[in-house]
Amino acid sequence: MHDRLWLFLATLGYLASAGWGLYALGSRRELANRGTFFLIAGAFVFHTVFLHQRGEAIQHCPITNLFETLAFFSWSLVLTYLVVGPTYRMSILGAFTAPIVFLINFFALAAASQIDLPSSVPHLGWQLELHATLALMGLGVLGVAALAGVAYLIQERQLKRHVLTTWFYSLPNVGRLERVQQLVLFWGFAIFSAGSVLGFFIPHHGPDDWVKIVWSAAVWALYAALVIVLALGRLSHKKTALISVAGYVFILLTFWGINSLSEAHVFPHEG
Amino acid sequence: MFSPTKADMSAHVICGGLTFEGVPVELREKVAFREAQLPDALVQMKTMLNLSEAVLVSTCNRVEYFGATTQPDYAAAAWPDFLRRFHAVSEDFSHLSFQMCGPSCVEHLYAVASGLKSMVIGETEVLGQLKDAYQVAQSHGQTGKWLNRLFQSSFAAAKSVRTNTAITRGHVSVGSVSVELAEKIFGDLRKCRVMVIGAGDTSEKTARSLLGHGVHSILVANRTYERAAALAVALRGEAVHWEEWEDHATNVDIMISSTSAPHYVLTQDKLALLLKRRERRPLFLIDLAVPRDFEPSINLLDDVFLYDIDDLQSIAQTHLRERQTEITRSMEILKPHVERYMEWAGRQTSESDSSGGSRGPVSA
Repeated sequence: MHDRLWLFLATLGYLASAGWGLYALGSRRELANRGTFFLIAGAFVFHTVFLHQRGEAIQHCPITNLFETLAFFSWSLVLTYLVVGPTYRMSILGAFTAPIVFLINFFALAAASQIDLPSSVPHLGWQLELHATLALMGLGVLGVAALAGVAYLIQERQLKRHVLTTWFYSLPNVGRLERVQQLVLFWGFAIFSAGSVLGFFIPHHGPDDWVKIVWSAAVWALYAALVIVLALGRLSHKKTALISVAGYVFILLTFWGINSLSEAHVFPHEG
Repeated sequence: MFSPTKADMSAHVICGGLTFEGVPVELREKVAFREAQLPDALVQMKTMLNLSEAVLVSTCNRVEYFGATTQPDYAAAAWPDFLRRFHAVSEDFSHLSFQMCGPSCVEHLYAVASGLKSMVIGETEVLGQLKDAYQVAQSHGQTGKWLNRLFQSSFAAAKSVRTNTAITRGHVSVGSVSVELAEKIFGDLRKCRVMVIGAGDTSEKTARSLLGHGVHSILVANRTYERAAALAVALRGEAVHWEEWEDHATNVDIMISSTSAPHYVLTQDKLALLLKRRERRPLFLIDLAVPRDFEPSINLLDDVFLYDIDDLQSIAQTHLRERQTEITRSMEILKPHVERYMEWAGRQTSESDSSGGSRGPVSA
């Protein structure tokens, strides 16, 4: 089976999860949330098979082009959800995770469909793979923090406006959302920082990739500032959630463009 | 003592009684059964109504009997007389009592157990009361296969309704709505510190609801210190002098206010200053006073959630309406449970008939 078919199946699975998640949010049935979790877990298996097959084919961590990078990026987001969801009884976050992951994968399959296996992957060693993997994993973890922030803002808005919809009963309490969001935010920042720092130790030839460096530094600085004011207790929960969500929207909107412009992060492709 | 006879093989399950829907409390209280009276009442009722099995349910909202008999009409006619004689009252309850038989009775019990026929739709207390009533009857040997099966299946049916509908979702009193909101803000209430400002009845009830959910501690502030101290004792809390309440407010998570002050006790500016001295965590303000104690614009501050009495009552009313809309769905869920019981009852009757009437229980 062509490896793309696995990603296609995974994407369909995430679409189904998104639909079911939306139903679960409004259904007022506890069991419905578990359905979202298991649907996402099923799609994650297909997603993993795709990355594994692609990795085998290129003998490299599958992050050699925008198509693979987006798939890996969304995979790390789902992985974080699958850890955070059951650990903190936040399976309902799947209703927010699935649509985002579906959109990223859909974009990967549709917009980046012309890009395929790279014809030559220079052997740059474990540092490159670890740098890219950690950076993307960090972005995935920050994604879950942002999604917890979205859930927090929805719940906070309902409590402030005294309008309690069915979502009010499905979403966790704001205290738990705020704690999980901050915890995941710290972890995401730590992993992203580690990945970014490793980038400076990768041996390379030619000019520095300033587009990617500036973008990464901007993202890092944004989250560093957020983490510092949070640690100092200077920011309200609402503003924390808002900045976390806004930061991630910035990442999502600029990620593909930066990767397209970034010369040192692109390998030549077949066809 | 039980002995099988042919007559009981076609026993009907029946029920009847008085409920809040048609009988005022002034009458219901005259025929209510105390727990200690139940064993004796069950024996007398079985004899007078000619029942082979009996359960008597007596709560503040209903006095009902459930039984197995071959003579449902006789039992229905004898019920008002039993009430009159047992309680030595002169009122005629015959036109106030409802009577049901067969599937209607089964459906009625399942609906009662599910809270569908309660004054507060969906309340779960009635299920415990039914379990207690059944337990008393069973432990005194007043139930047999018909009522054992009927009551046990009613508990399962009620569980199914609670699990699959929103009939118990959402609280319907100011106190319980406050608890629900507090849980949605803080999650675990065991770490929450509560301050009650003003010693009004509603604030006491609300504080009691929170106390029942395990809040960490309660402080009471009132212009008259003695009243604060008395309420603090009742709430197992601590009284603080009126002049000091703002200092203590920096350490609390929930503030309930119901003073009779003609002006705002807490303004946005004052709270903004308090928040600066406070750790960064949410603050839940419950304003039960009229005129209001907390300036409404306080709700604009981040991490502060302000609810006044109208907000809480409005939520309670919404919950009640939502519960009422779940009744139809709940009745649909009960249908297969009723059918299963009736099928089982039918099989019991036919098996008894074919075996020559050797299985059915009947009272001695």
